[in-house]
Amino acid sequence: MIGKERIFETLQEILASAQADQTEAIFIGSQRGLTRFTNNSVHQNVAERDTDVTFRVALGKKIGVASTNSLNKEELREALKEAVEIAKHQVETPHFSSLPSPGEYKEVNTFFEETANFTPEQRAEMVRKVFDKVEAQGLTVAGALSTGCGEIAVLNSLGLAAYQPLSAATLRMVVSSADSSGYADFLCRDIGTLDIDGLAEVAIKKCLESRHPRALKEGRYDVLLEPPAVGELMEWMSMIGFGAKSFQEETSFLSGRLGEKIMSEKVTIYDDGNDPAGVAMPFDFEGVPKQRVFFVKEGIAQGVVYDSVTGNREGKPSTGHALPPSSRSGPMPLNLFVKSGDGREEEMIASLGRGILVTRFHYVNGLLNTKEALFTGMTRDGTFFVEDGKVKYPIENLRFTESMLKAFSNVEVVSKERKAINAWWEEVGAAVVPALLIRDFNFSGKTE
Amino acid sequence: MKDLMKECLVKLKRKGVDYADLRKVESHSQRIGVKNGEVEGISYSQNSGFGIRVLKDGAWGFSSSAVISPEEVERVASEALRIASASASVSKKRSKLSEEEPWVDSYQTNYLEDPFAVPLEEKIELLMKAVEAMRGDKIKVAVGSLTFHRERKLFLNTEGAEIEQTITHSGGGISATASDGQQAQRRSYPNSAGGDFASKGYEFIREMGLIENAERIRDEAAALLSAPECPQGEVDLILDGSQLALQVHESCGHPTELDRVLGTEISYAGGSFLSLDKLNKFQYGSNLVDITADATLEGGLGTFGYDDEGVKAQRTYLVRRGVFVGYLTSRETGFFLGQRSNGTMRADGWNRIPLIRMTNINLEPGEWSLEDLIADTKEGIYLETNKSWSIDDQRLNFQFGTEIGWEIKRGKKVRMVKNPVYTGITPQFWRSCDAICNRDSWHIWGVPNCGKGEPSQIMRVAHGTAPARFRKVKVGVKR
Repeated sequence: MIGKERIFETLQEILASAQADQTEAIFIGSQRGLTRFTNNSVHQNVAERDTDVTFRVALGKKIGVASTNSLNKEELREALKEAVEIAKHQVETPHFSSLPSPGEYKEVNTFFEETANFTPEQRAEMVRKVFDKVEAQGLTVAGALSTGCGEIAVLNSLGLAAYQPLSAATLRMVVSSADSSGYADFLCRDIGTLDIDGLAEVAIKKCLESRHPRALKEGRYDVLLEPPAVGELMEWMSMIGFGAKSFQEETSFLSGRLGEKIMSEKVTIYDDGNDPAGVAMPFDFEGVPKQRVFFVKEGIAQGVVYDSVTGNREGKPSTGHALPPSSRSGPMPLNLFVKSGDGREEEMIASLGRGILVTRFHYVNGLLNTKEALFTGMTRDGTFFVEDGKVKYPIENLRFTESMLKAFSNVEVVSKERKAINAWWEEVGAAVVPALLIRDFNFSGKTE
Repeated sequence: MKDLMKECLVKLKRKGVDYADLRKVESHSQRIGVKNGEVEGISYSQNSGFGIRVLKDGAWGFSSSAVISPEEVERVASEALRIASASASVSKKRSKLSEEEPWVDSYQTNYLEDPFAVPLEEKIELLMKAVEAMRGDKIKVAVGSLTFHRERKLFLNTEGAEIEQTITHSGGGISATASDGQQAQRRSYPNSAGGDFASKGYEFIREMGLIENAERIRDEAAALLSAPECPQGEVDLILDGSQLALQVHESCGHPTELDRVLGTEISYAGGSFLSLDKLNKFQYGSNLVDITADATLEGGLGTFGYDDEGVKAQRTYLVRRGVFVGYLTSRETGFFLGQRSNGTMRADGWNRIPLIRMTNINLEPGEWSLEDLIADTKEGIYLETNKSWSIDDQRLNFQFGTEIGWEIKRGKKVRMVKNPVYTGITPQFWRSCDAICNRDSWHIWGVPNCGKGEPSQIMRVAHGTAPARFRKVKVGVKR
């Protein structure tokens, strides 16, 4: 960790030398370790220390961006000079008006010493516990345990100066037998909350219960999606529909439909970077404080998230959801929540009656038809047939192809409990989601 | 600094490591994006650092840093050693490496025109013209982008290898999205996901014909809005080269990665159906199907002189006359098979360990011209340009969607269809291949975004393909 004072001091000195109308510096530092294992043995064990400084400069409405991973002042100045050079050769970005002004950030504890300083030996000890439990059942396990910390700072020439230290621990494991597998995962800023034995037991139980799967014919079934399966769907919903870029380009399923009922009244989806129930992060990569934004409220389409440029395009303020300027995705919700309901796991299986219990999905793709939110993907690591409100037997993996607007219109029960699910943006956010009971879900194929 | 790095490896050897290597990498990237007549973004990034990989008592440790200084080299080396000891404390498996020459060499990919030397104004002008030509009433979004990447790598190991490489990549593409409020339809050229990429210079962009193809792309995107839906059923399917490249990627490239087969990716993107018992026995495809891994191919995005374990680039068969005959291997997995590595280990930067990655994985050309192949197809569908992709965790059940399709009747493309999707099981699909087009329509498609590993690594790979026909493939999805 470099620390707020040193980062601010270094970057403020560089910013002061900028030959531009406005200048911004984004600092991202990380110090992480990861232990990866398969067949009850470690096959990869790595550590890294990296930094990234991105300069965005404005010459009027001409924008230039350049980055370096060096903290050497000379190289930082070079990168800044490069950003200015790029801006000089640019054409104007009409919807750029200004870099953001200083904001007020909520205080959120995002840093835990124990997670930040977790050692390779501690990671080894933790995976040893998993190996022992799994071996005792004659099974194997594959997975990855990652721990570490980072710092994000955003400064600009208008006096904005934001800093947040972060820690994160993630664990993902798949326990396997000859013909089955079971999954469990963990994501939290505080590794002290990880119950390693309990997590291993979840994956082992799933694996044992999945043995000797039977083939089930594809078709329409009622489903109970556990949180990892819902999280996979939400990741794609965000990418194709909850950001201003897809909304303005009219490829989002929300474009032209705000105010309409597009899902069941039981479904409320929002983003909240300040809620510590997720992996909180109080400001975005422009240093704008994160606002709570509803995408769907009791089934009604509400809106999308903005950064300063996409907000300006519609005459709206940024909602605090900018990604780094090198990103091509536009603003994105990184702290997604699906509002909990009142369902309890056992009752939900009973309510399902006859249908399929899905632990998680694999290789979901949401680009088939983004206006309908038509997705496809496979089940994996624990798929079960439910009959008479009870889990009857495990089944072979199925492919689904379904419109998520249709699926979320058919949500009947939402669980009370929610879980933070790993996503590609795990350092700065997560999807916190419940289990969902959905009627009439389309499984279009099966594997061999 | 090189001498200091060599000295560090000598010290590690003295400390009793089985093996160690050090990679120093410096990369530069430039990206220019234009959207609807505005420059959406121009960015330049530079990144450098080094990583040290240690094998001690048969267990791996790796550490890396962005700070290149004598003190940091020392710290990173001892951290890698410490991590290897932690690995050894919980691992029963002991890794060993196949033999390899300690090459001392330098290599660079070829180009005619340095892409970083071409003025920014010229690049912007090219994209602006192409984007302008795509604009029209129904076109909501017209975008174009160019990307250039250069990587300088130094590889040293405890066996005496010393390899310097400079790899230069260029790529770009355009796309138009038409919308009528109810639906959005996109066409891309020369490929989706940013276009096409190669280990070439700016000449690759000049030859691409972005402006020349812009109006066609615009018109096709607009026409798709009113085109009929692709019919459902079992049909004879012809895939264009770019879609076939992704088919090869997902259903042959990934499942032949031997580390995946041995379980290292199970908890992430899954395993592979190509288990060890299938090697040299399994009928993967029809006897027309020859698939090679060729890192020596001029211009491919998976072309290099040496992999990131210092193994010389090679050309090997994965599938020969339809039979599965080879894996992509590393020194560790090669040793496991009793073979030498075929040189496919690459890392996406100094801060990542090398993994087995696709190089240029190619469906070797057949004998048909595309014209004759269509004329020979009584009833079928011709699909172009990938739109969606999904495959199960053993690489068996796949489903792909493309941007556009064409119905074929009595040997002729008769009408455009939209939202086509096809699905199948990998070996059944490849066994149904009954025609592959010849070298005239064979092209090496660059795929710059292949994901694998934890922490995530994005690799640049390529696939040489020509259009091919597959009999009785399931098209469309029952909903």
